[in-house]
Amino acid sequence: MSHTIELRTAATRALEQMRKRGFEHAQVTAMATRQDEVNIAHGEPSLLRSTDARRMGLVGIVDGRKAATEVSDLGETSVREGIDALFAAAKSAPRDEANKVSSGQKARIVQGPQESDVALLTDKARELIDFCRRETPKVNLVEAVVAHVLTRSHTVTTGGSELETEVGHHSVGAFGTAREGQATSSFAYTGGNCHDLAGTHASAMFGIDEMARNLEKSIHTRPVGDKFVGDVVLTPEAVSDFLNWFLGQLCDVQLIAGSSLYRDRVGEAVGSKMLTLRSRFDAPGVCAVTSDAFVANPVTILEQGTLRTLTPGLYGSLKTKLPHVPVAAEGWELLAGDTPREKLVSGTQRGALVGRLSMGNPAANGDFAGVIKNSFMIDGGKVGHALSETMISGNVAQMLKDVAAVSRERLDTGTWLLPWVRIGGLHFS
Amino acid sequence: MSTIATAPPKATTSSYSETRRHELRMSLMLMVDGNLVSNARSVESGASARVYEGGYWGFASTSDTSSEKVRELSDLARRNARAMAKFGERKKLQLPNGHYRGEHEYKGKAPLSAGECADRLAQVDAWCGERFKGLKSTRIRVLDEHHRKHIANSEGTDAVASIQRALCTVTFIAEDASGSPVEVTEFLSGKGHLGDIDWSLEALAPRLDALYGHLQAKREAVAARGGLARVVMGPQLAGILAHEAMGHPCEADLVLGGAVTGDLVGKRVASELVTMVDYAHTYDGEEAVIPVYCDDEGMPASDAVLIKDGVLTEFMNSLETSARLGIRPTGSARAYAPSDEPLVRMRNTAILPGQSKLDDMVAGIEDGYLLLRTGNGQADSTTEFMFAISLGYEVKNGKVGRAIRDTTMSGSAIKVLQGVDAVSGDMHWNSGGYCGKKQRMVVSMGGPAIRTQVQMGGE
Repeated sequence: MSHTIELRTAATRALEQMRKRGFEHAQVTAMATRQDEVNIAHGEPSLLRSTDARRMGLVGIVDGRKAATEVSDLGETSVREGIDALFAAAKSAPRDEANKVSSGQKARIVQGPQESDVALLTDKARELIDFCRRETPKVNLVEAVVAHVLTRSHTVTTGGSELETEVGHHSVGAFGTAREGQATSSFAYTGGNCHDLAGTHASAMFGIDEMARNLEKSIHTRPVGDKFVGDVVLTPEAVSDFLNWFLGQLCDVQLIAGSSLYRDRVGEAVGSKMLTLRSRFDAPGVCAVTSDAFVANPVTILEQGTLRTLTPGLYGSLKTKLPHVPVAAEGWELLAGDTPREKLVSGTQRGALVGRLSMGNPAANGDFAGVIKNSFMIDGGKVGHALSETMISGNVAQMLKDVAAVSRERLDTGTWLLPWVRIGGLHFS
Repeated sequence: MSTIATAPPKATTSSYSETRRHELRMSLMLMVDGNLVSNARSVESGASARVYEGGYWGFASTSDTSSEKVRELSDLARRNARAMAKFGERKKLQLPNGHYRGEHEYKGKAPLSAGECADRLAQVDAWCGERFKGLKSTRIRVLDEHHRKHIANSEGTDAVASIQRALCTVTFIAEDASGSPVEVTEFLSGKGHLGDIDWSLEALAPRLDALYGHLQAKREAVAARGGLARVVMGPQLAGILAHEAMGHPCEADLVLGGAVTGDLVGKRVASELVTMVDYAHTYDGEEAVIPVYCDDEGMPASDAVLIKDGVLTEFMNSLETSARLGIRPTGSARAYAPSDEPLVRMRNTAILPGQSKLDDMVAGIEDGYLLLRTGNGQADSTTEFMFAISLGYEVKNGKVGRAIRDTTMSGSAIKVLQGVDAVSGDMHWNSGGYCGKKQRMVVSMGGPAIRTQVQMGGE
């Protein structure tokens, strides 16, 4: 609690200093993050890392001109110097009537494990090592991490907003390859955040066991062979790649630039009726406040394929005259479908089960081409050999419309809760 | 940031330790159609300590850089290393010895103030709006980043090092015939801060004229043909080829992780036209953009010649990977943020120039592509790599033709590098991006134009 008071004191003191300096509107966030992390390297326990970081984010507006700064030294001199530099930066910025700060927002969010237990982290790291040695001996756990993270923050604005958070979570992540003789698989990784670390074997979390087993099956690979148009069954991780592009289309920069494909599509069907995308801002590791100091309330983006809202922040909203919809930095779920996961594969005549896409960011119009990794051929409804040197190409906006089936099962990684999805019409080469 | 060293305790026979004080200053400004969407600066200071004891590492960091706190950190790092003993006894590695003493700080031109940058952004934006018809949007982004580190270790290292790089990107967006957005981006990056790279309107103007030409061509772009294709990668792509294709597979931690390169030292992995080096701090007599004289473990840094005339020669490594593999240390362990531990990372990775001329290389392609700009890329333990192509053209009978839509190119690094049949005499360095590997990292990459065969994504 004393740490919490300390952050509040630091934030309110800095806000007062900013007022005195001449800022008409201001926002201050004082933040402290503690992390303990047990690392595995090449299948062996390697490192225990403890970090304790503080920072203060300052946003100031004077005469409609805005600037932001961040300092990690919360001492009085450092903050005062930061405010002075911020004032100079703001004074020289162009005037913009859309520059405002939040007002009237109040929240205190306390969630997740607040205390680190290094012994528990160590036990879970050992479970990962033992699982790989016992169940998947060809797998080299190149890097794995079991961590506890606690982030506390206190945000105040001249508009009277006051947001206090104490968000703790555990995270587990694994990155590995499999090898037999001189043959090596591609690397694969998975991981996620949770509140309860003790209740589940570490290998059973976030699909780590499945990833390791699939690595052993993908040491020996073959290219797809010829060009064709077929289906993909996307794993949740691959689904998240495409949803990230879609969510990016709904945000400030794309909306202000007028380059979003969805700028004027609210209320229209932009995806398959099987797609409902909504927030989960209370998920492990997610904090339901925005960077511009608003409480992020639950929101549905896609409802049975219909676009329900865009997500401009305060600035984007004032700039574009679109309704302001505060969203957290992450925390999304795609609702489950009614198709058992195995039926997604058995319903595919020719295509691939895609574990991961290695690709550049999709283009502004949604075009993409990517190498499919950790992936397997599907022929006649059956999973076949592991693939190498195989690319797929298509258009993300079109893929959202072409979803043919959504699985009943979902994978929960904290920031995402996603099903497996089958989509047709992709070009294989 | 203090410049007074707080040296960690002298090594005992059973332990190694290091401390790092690290200050990271950044500024980022983004103008979208005349709106200053981002006008931000940050200063992240911190201290860290790392100890190797009993075969385990312990690490601790804090935002408090006082000498007293740094001493406490060393104790916490040692306790962390000892806490790992819960896993059982572990064989202690004989880490290589090496130390470095010196100070290296880049002295560039006077920095630009936030106001000067804002004025320049507005000037360039207004000029683009006036000059280029049909633009739907213009985004101009400038960023600079300055790392200053004071590294000390139990082997006697006491060094101050700095890395400074700046970046300016301009993105034009227009619509194609169907009304879909099309975009192209020009990158300008270099050593120092935003006062050191020339992003004046006079310097940018010819580049932006060319960029607008590419935008017009891309509005009528066609999809690339999927499959194997003969390509010339322009000099701006060779660096990412070096970085992704064989840079990552030559990082010793990935070699230990099973990368196929582990079995290929001394073997031919590329055409004899290909020599590839990860430069520590100096290229062709000049200090590189990312100069590493001693790494974040305090080890003196040296060039790593990864491929010599087509033959795989050595790997980049840290103290631990050097000891595990029994190879010479290269001083390649680096940490991005004050709270990060050092990992094996590239520094200035390049394919060296050859003798050919770019025009001749294009003229030698009957049916293929000229690839000019890239986005992000990714490597793999198999050496199968990819990177995005954000600007490219068809080449038919030696002539440059229609632009192609955004796509991805990929291939097995060994097949692609063995297929190299021409290397130009140009050399282009790019230091604008980040490399991602648990932490992000500032790196630079360079190279000439290269002709080879790759897999193109497409229909």
